[in-house]
Amino acid sequence: MEYINIFIRSAFIDNMIFTFFFGMCSYLAVSKTVKTAVGLGSAVIFVLLVTIPINYLLETFVLKEGALSWMGEEYATMDLSFLSFIMFIAVIASIVQLVEMLVEKFSPALYGALGIFLPLIAVNCAILGGALFMQQKQFANVGQATVYGLGSGFGWFIAIVLIAAIREKIKYSHVPAPLKGVGMAFILTGLMGLAFLGFLGFEL
Amino acid sequence: MAINRDSNVYTVVFATVMVVIVGGFLAFISMSLKPQQKANITNEKMQNILQAIGIDETNGIARDDAGKVFNDYVKRRITINYKGEILSDKSADEAIDPQDKLDAFNIDLRKEYSMYVKPIMSQYKGDDAKIDAEMAASPNIHFPVFVCENNGKKYYVVSASGKGLWDDIWGYIGLSEDAITVSGSVFDHKGETPGLGSKIAEEWFQVQFKGKTIEEGGAYAPIKVLKPGNELNSHQVDGISGATFTGVGVDEMLTRNLAVYYNFFSTNKGL
Amino acid sequence: MSEEVKKSEPLFSKKNKKLITDPLNKINPVTIQVLGICSALAVTVQMDNAIVMSIAVTFVLFFGNMLISMMRNLIPGRIRIIVQLVVVASLVIVVDQVLKAFVYDVSKQLSVFVGLIITNCIIMGRLEAFALGNKPWPSILDGIGNGLGYGLVLVIVAFFKELLGSGTLTFPGIGKLTIIPEAMYTAGYMDNGLFLLPPSSLIIVAIYIWVQKFRNPELIEA
Repeated sequence: MEYINIFIRSAFIDNMIFTFFFGMCSYLAVSKTVKTAVGLGSAVIFVLLVTIPINYLLETFVLKEGALSWMGEEYATMDLSFLSFIMFIAVIASIVQLVEMLVEKFSPALYGALGIFLPLIAVNCAILGGALFMQQKQFANVGQATVYGLGSGFGWFIAIVLIAAIREKIKYSHVPAPLKGVGMAFILTGLMGLAFLGFLGFEL
Repeated sequence: MAINRDSNVYTVVFATVMVVIVGGFLAFISMSLKPQQKANITNEKMQNILQAIGIDETNGIARDDAGKVFNDYVKRRITINYKGEILSDKSADEAIDPQDKLDAFNIDLRKEYSMYVKPIMSQYKGDDAKIDAEMAASPNIHFPVFVCENNGKKYYVVSASGKGLWDDIWGYIGLSEDAITVSGSVFDHKGETPGLGSKIAEEWFQVQFKGKTIEEGGAYAPIKVLKPGNELNSHQVDGISGATFTGVGVDEMLTRNLAVYYNFFSTNKGL
Repeated sequence: MSEEVKKSEPLFSKKNKKLITDPLNKINPVTIQVLGICSALAVTVQMDNAIVMSIAVTFVLFFGNMLISMMRNLIPGRIRIIVQLVVVASLVIVVDQVLKAFVYDVSKQLSVFVGLIITNCIIMGRLEAFALGNKPWPSILDGIGNGLGYGLVLVIVAFFKELLGSGTLTFPGIGKLTIIPEAMYTAGYMDNGLFLLPPSSLIIVAIYIWVQKFRNPELIEA
């Protein structure tokens, strides 16, 4: 039950794009066709799913105040949380690199689909944002953190696929010239965000 | 150029030097600012507790002063469990030891709520008797009571934590000497909608609780947050328009937590 | 490097001035280059948050550009992205720690968004595109310019959101000022709560882009 709630919450209510505008840069840049949107969306789901649990473990066993107590009494009062930004971003950058190499080696087909998007993702705010929210939310165990990562990625995926579908069609509409492109995408995202507000307070 | 910038040795040396410099620099910054940051957090908590008995900026006590005067007002710090048993009882003369997890001041209600209370509530949803039994059985659920004195009058400050629309909400409620009349309240939140739900942290909302009671005809009567614009009795306050769910959250949080305190005070009169 | 450029340029030559003024309008990082929106829009509910955020980003851009530009001949090519990330992340940690220590209330409101300055695409973009290939002084100006361009959009969005959403304007150090007079409310005026919700920032930025491109038709996308 808790897991389902976390998933729904992270995918629909706390949607990365519509509520926090995380990853807007690549969201706007890569949403011109549905095909590329699906590619980048899947890559984001994948990377969030992998990095959030790793960062959760890092947070719980290394960074948090008292997290180092497993190393012995004298480390129990250590508080390394000031390093969390730099550690998270390092984990993300290296995982992305690692995943890229592994995928290339073992699944050329998947690499063909995701490959070019993976490097883009290291600096996608959605990934670091996910890690920072995970840190704030203080999940009880690594399972909940993983579900959170999956849900957030899924929410991002829906958002980019939806906007791409609309942008494909909007080419045939008469948009005022100064609003063409980015301007219209902003308005569309805003309207979709309003629709997503309907999920507020939803809980199983 | 003398050095080959693409050689492995150079890359590794560069990375190592950079890590050492950056690490040292950040550790230095963090160490030197840490006391100030810790003081901010402690002072804020003390300020919140004092606000619940009406000591705030208007009395010349800003956040930074809260730490200095805290012990002048807060005479005893008591920690109880769900069943109302006293687990720890400290007087103002005993300094707050950050390592003493049972000291009422160190009870982190928000953390306990999300780690222990919420799982019980969602697992046994609808089965109040079971929730009751589980909460009573849990060794991790505590409730702090601060016995305060201001102008010769005794007050009790109790604390509550729950969930708003987006995220955690929490608050401190001051009770008069009879332990059933609210003398003041402070609420705060982590991420309620700015300008809507976040208004629970504003004075006009909090001041409504003053004078409300939590007893009716010798039994517990929870304080209810209604939709704005209703006639209010002595257990009801106005909610915030446009923030129904935050209001529901405050309502639930107060009902659940004050019940524990009501039972505690009815068996421990004149503490 | 050609002889002409080597001749000592005045500190505020025409070219250098453009480094500051261009990002304010024609190559505005947010509305034209569409960078750094991630952390931008969510902190615009109150003016003071927007102002502090702009200062923080400008600070990071200023020092990030300066440091990277100073090290540009030392950084090994293969790990340059990581080096940039480390420099930016360290600067952001400094900002975060300072905010937590000295302006605790603001740091509470900005919460995770301070951390997100690291992945703010404006910063990485400027480091990669400008600081790596230019001398420190122009890089510093470029940093300030882009920081201001970012701040400009943030402050304008926050101005409308707060004014129309809650009828107040909050400035750091001054506090909350009520702008809409009480008489308006008694006459039936109501704050539009919609402006406080996240989606309205997007729509305000869209209108900003509309006005900007209307006045500079050469920016219109084909």
